[in-house]
Amino acid sequence: MRLLRPGDILVLALAAAVVGAAYGTFWTERTPGQSVVITVSGTPVDEHSLSEPATIAVEGAIGTSHLEIAEGRVRFTDSPCNGRYCVHSGWLSKSGQVAACLPNGVVVEVLGGEREYDAISL
Amino acid sequence: MNQAALNDAHAEDRLVAGFAALAIAIHILEAAFPSPLPGIKPGLANVVTLVVYLRHGLRLAAWVAGLRVLVGSLLVGTFLSPTFALSATGALAALLTMGLAGAIGGRHIGPVGLSVLAAMAHMSGQVTVAYLVFIPHAALLKLVPVLLTAALLFGTVSGIIAAIVLRILDRPRATAP
Repeated sequence: MRLLRPGDILVLALAAAVVGAAYGTFWTERTPGQSVVITVSGTPVDEHSLSEPATIAVEGAIGTSHLEIAEGRVRFTDSPCNGRYCVHSGWLSKSGQVAACLPNGVVVEVLGGEREYDAISL
Repeated sequence: MNQAALNDAHAEDRLVAGFAALAIAIHILEAAFPSPLPGIKPGLANVVTLVVYLRHGLRLAAWVAGLRVLVGSLLVGTFLSPTFALSATGALAALLTMGLAGAIGGRHIGPVGLSVLAAMAHMSGQVTVAYLVFIPHAALLKLVPVLLTAALLFGTVSGIIAAIVLRILDRPRATAP
């Protein structure tokens, strides 16, 4: 029995690729964002600067989502959805970060600074 | 159940017990060693699971891994703690991946490939549960590349050890269980 079979080499190559991708994904520096764009059902409805504190109410598909901006960050404070995944996303401050309340169709994205890519395809 | 079937069942039980005891011993030895980084340990107990899987199939491997996680945690004192949950998740993810890869790869995949896959699955499963259940913080994700690198290295090493063990067990005159 040989130590390495073709499948083993394939697995090793794939595993190395995954490890490399992990470094690329998790060790990318993020830059602070400057503003936040609020999108409802695919259409941008509002843009706010992150430097001015504010509380915002956004009408979505199933109710009102509440946002809070403070200290250069933004977060969902409440949303009429199950699980409140958007609220659990916590504060967003870095360019490219996104929080979404999918049931309500409300998406919040931080813009400004150096825009980062969430995916690159070659 | 007739006598022959009963004997077979007993032989299988003894096999599982023997291998599980070996895995538990390795598990506890590893727990005693200081770890260079939290969450990283060689996972040599998985060598036993892998050897059992390749020699006796997934069902017995699952028994050995399950007993190892259960008894290991009772002896180390982490039963039903977060460590236990992570250990169980990792073992389950590793077993499922190993079984799946073995079923797909067949003869073309050997101990090293299976071990690397199992180690990566083990680590991924643990990190996912750790992140979702215990520490939902971005700092944990920063550790992911390091943890996966460790999984790749230790998975390869475990695989090579398993290959050597299998080679020794496959010798005609070996008195192996």
